[in-house]
Amino acid sequence: MPVLEVKNLKKSFGQNKVLKGVNLTLEKGEVLAVIGSSGGGKTTLLRCLNFLEIADEGEIIVDGEKVFYIGDDGKPHVPNNGGEYMGLVFQQFNLFPQYSVMDNLTLAPRLAAKRCPDYKENKKSIIEQIESQAREILAATGLSEKHSAYPCQLSGGQQQRVAIARALMMSPKILCFDEPTSALDPELTGEVLKVIRSLKDSNRTMVIVTHEMEFARNVADKVIFVADGIIEEEGTPEEVLSNPKSEKIKHFLSVLKKDEI
Amino acid sequence: MDQFLGVTGNLLLGFAENMKLFFATLLFAIPLGLIIAIFLLSKFKPLKALFEIIVWIVRGSPLMLQLFVVFYVPGILFDMPMRNRFLAALIAFVINYACYFAEIFRGGIISIPQGQSEAGKVLGMTKSEIFFKVTLMQVVKRIVPPMGNEVITLVKDTSLARVIAVSEVIMSATEYSAVGIIWPLFYTGAFFLLFNGLLTILLGKLENKLDYYKG
Ligand SMILES: Nc1ncnc2c1ncn2[C@@H]1O[C@H](COP(=O)(O)OP(=O)(O)O)[C@@H](O)[C@H]1O
Ligand SMILES: [Mg+2]
Repeated sequence: MPVLEVKNLKKSFGQNKVLKGVNLTLEKGEVLAVIGSSGGGKTTLLRCLNFLEIADEGEIIVDGEKVFYIGDDGKPHVPNNGGEYMGLVFQQFNLFPQYSVMDNLTLAPRLAAKRCPDYKENKKSIIEQIESQAREILAATGLSEKHSAYPCQLSGGQQQRVAIARALMMSPKILCFDEPTSALDPELTGEVLKVIRSLKDSNRTMVIVTHEMEFARNVADKVIFVADGIIEEEGTPEEVLSNPKSEKIKHFLSVLKKDEI
Repeated sequence: MDQFLGVTGNLLLGFAENMKLFFATLLFAIPLGLIIAIFLLSKFKPLKALFEIIVWIVRGSPLMLQLFVVFYVPGILFDMPMRNRFLAALIAFVINYACYFAEIFRGGIISIPQGQSEAGKVLGMTKSEIFFKVTLMQVVKRIVPPMGNEVITLVKDTSLARVIAVSEVIMSATEYSAVGIIWPLFYTGAFFLLFNGLLTILLGKLENKLDYYKG
């Protein structure tokens, strides 16, 4: 059973049809790279997957559970525990500036624990467990020394790694990245990509919007090329990046190449 | 010297009224301002419009006039004369300052990047958790300077309460000037300056305290 299935997802902003019916399937542990030129709807797709935008039509199925769909009454059904299914790492990190790295990681899990009925009796052990999980994740992302630093004291690469660590704390079934390295100086992208690669090695299911073609080639199991709100081309990295069929993607890839030179 | 001490004592009694009005106004106007700010940001248009009109009326007309309205109108319209002058002054001040605070809070809230609440949302936080744990603290940092301005203005504005005969410090001083002793009137300035000096130091401390992070 696929861990993620997206069926005929559509989204418009007013007259602007941004997603015109997107279909996806992703197996557990697979990495999907989403490429495409600016304005094609990549961010909107991720935002719909994370319920930051409510799609107009379509279904999102996670682990066989229909988490998003349009009901018979025509109203969209959005899960109120969306964070358990999906995680999102933003281009601009969006760390909470007033909290230390450790608190950025533990805030949401602590609040979630507080909502549980048995929180009061087990408060101490719950918090200890959250904190030890945070320390583990910080170690895995190479941030152990930074646990009490504030975001403003970190480099962009470190901030983005904290943002990844923070998303991992919720153990989402699928972790999405929206151009995770686009806001970074070129010399800082490597450390972030390395962390994402390590997540693949630990069998995380991920959807990554990226302009790093080499990275997509090395890490992704599948690549989709999104243009004008539809998946214009899909397949293995080899198929999509090395032997593209449509003119649009050929053009897109050739423009990228020129930029690199 | 005896006269100086006597005047000081009387003016201090008057200034105590100013202080009572000052602290009570802050106590009620800050939470009320926050509630009004939330209404001003409401997506429900009629509610938003209603509070925009209220804020316009309150900020657009003199506080002195508002004091008269609160003090006299209940008696004229509803046959329920305001007997407690201090309470009337307090109500007028709370409404007036809540509207100013609301605008500051609203500005502070909309200045926080949307990404902050979106980050909270994808981490599964509820709306109120996002507001209290993510947004509000950042708003507080941004509004300390403009709030400081308003708070210092409030200290001085409390002397307006004398128009409905609340015996605040300047009113106390006019009892002397009525019998030809003018200097206590000027002396009242020292009370305001001293207290506002203290507030300025405290506000500076608060700003420094919130300076542990940027953003
Ligand atoms: N909140 C929004 N309101 C209106 N239009 C939007 C909004 N978000 C995105 N769009 C529009 O959707 C289109 C696709 O944008 P986006 O998903 O950000 O593309 P990409 O991430 O591929 O660059 C653009 O035309 C953009 O202007
Ligand atoms: Mg984008």
